[in-house]
Amino acid sequence: MAALLEVANLHAAYGPTRVLHGISFGLEEGSITALLGANGAGKTTTLRALCGMVKTQGEVRFSGARIDGKATEDIVRLGIAHVPDGRGTFVNLSTEENLRLGAYVRKDKSGLNDDFERIYGYFPRLKERRHQQAGTLSGGEQQMLAVSRALMLRPRLLLLDEPSFGLAPLIVREIFEIMRGINQREKVSILLVEQNAAMALDLADRAYLIETGNVVLSGTSAEIKQNEAVRRSYLGY
Amino acid sequence: METFLHQVIAGLATGGIYASVALALVMIYQATHLVNFAQGEIAMFATYIAWTLIQTGMPYWAAFFLTVLIAFVMGVLIERIIVRPVEQAPVLSVVVVFIGLLVIFNSMAGWIYTYTIKTFPSPFPKEPPFGSRLVSSHELGAICVTLAVLALLYAFFRFTPLGLAMRAAAQNPESSRLVGIRVGWMLALGWGLASAIGAIAGMMVAPVVFLDPNMMAGILLYAFAAALVGGIDSPGGAVLGGFIVGVLENVLGAYVIGNELKLSVALVLIIGVLVVRPSGLFGKVHVTRV
Repeated sequence: MAALLEVANLHAAYGPTRVLHGISFGLEEGSITALLGANGAGKTTTLRALCGMVKTQGEVRFSGARIDGKATEDIVRLGIAHVPDGRGTFVNLSTEENLRLGAYVRKDKSGLNDDFERIYGYFPRLKERRHQQAGTLSGGEQQMLAVSRALMLRPRLLLLDEPSFGLAPLIVREIFEIMRGINQREKVSILLVEQNAAMALDLADRAYLIETGNVVLSGTSAEIKQNEAVRRSYLGY
Repeated sequence: METFLHQVIAGLATGGIYASVALALVMIYQATHLVNFAQGEIAMFATYIAWTLIQTGMPYWAAFFLTVLIAFVMGVLIERIIVRPVEQAPVLSVVVVFIGLLVIFNSMAGWIYTYTIKTFPSPFPKEPPFGSRLVSSHELGAICVTLAVLALLYAFFRFTPLGLAMRAAAQNPESSRLVGIRVGWMLALGWGLASAIGAIAGMMVAPVVFLDPNMMAGILLYAFAAALVGGIDSPGGAVLGGFIVGVLENVLGAYVIGNELKLSVALVLIIGVLVVRPSGLFGKVHVTRV
């Protein structure tokens, strides 16, 4: 399988505060890759760096072409959808308008109705609430909405930032199951950032462990699960 | 009774103008949380452009639509060239830029066209409609034009993808970029639309107040009052506020305080709203889960 995303020696900083110190990782087309790490390790910043939302140095290639230094709006047009930290809901718009915005850059508006149906199939709750102001949805529903909005792009690569954050375990499991289905059926590659290492490793094919802005460990999920240090610090058994 | 009704209808006609300018203010406020003090002067300058076009012999409606287009482009250019560099600057800097724009447009108009008051033609017939004594043709026409503009804008923001993108960009720029919306251009478009609306308001009010570089000063004050009465973040509220302020101003001016003190109605309204109900009558209360 070819590498869809290649990141080499990526640095990022918020003003004078340097967050990423030259991390490198890759993602195979069609795979699910997880970035693990504690709070403040630089996981969210890595995703933001890929989308041109922070100043970076280093190389990012998406299906072979450099995308570092490009504007966020142009990176989205290449087929990279980002479910951001905090879900990024348009709180004053309706659920349906939120979804419609997800398809904003798509040229083929004809398939739009099918996509609405497909997404309402995954998340029937969003259909019930499609005319409701999105800010009044529950946390879980807003996370579903964020994932759905990203899927409306028909992305090649989905960047998921802490989809489990602040949600009940049952809902997290539901969302993770749907992610697995989307990856397998629609061949969407997924880069997942998670603090919940156990769940992320169950879902992902490969994983990278990030500590204070550096990749300290990488391997298949099975290998990472076997690692003594990871087991003690991140899996807790 | 008849004169009272006439005052009310005349108030609705000028209220429509205030509503348009208030709407232009609200549009930029929603996107930037700043009040564009130069809104009135841009409208005034556009009205002078219309006057020039009509002087060259262009038919009224051709000049009207060309002016709207020119105002739109002017608004976009102002945003791109002048406002954009101070986007990240502190609020006060931006306000100073807006006031600078106000002074520049005002002096430019005075320099090019002199401060002599000019008449501006009305596209509507001289004789009142249907022989009515309640309303002049221009008042009725201005109300219709205002309502048409408001309906078009509503349809644009409510039903078109671009309108939705503009609303999204105003509310949540970061998420908008993540779905591929070019937020900077949406802001520029907003400025263009606001300037175009202002131009229409200017052309509708100029036959009544006559054309001079200071003609929008009072109107901008009424528009501020209208936007605040309606709720500065509510487009619908601003429109209703405009009509309310227009009628109040006219009726109070005719019967209570006299024409000379009319403008203080706007100031009293502004202070009153800010003291009693800062979110305005129709300022939406957004429910957000945290």
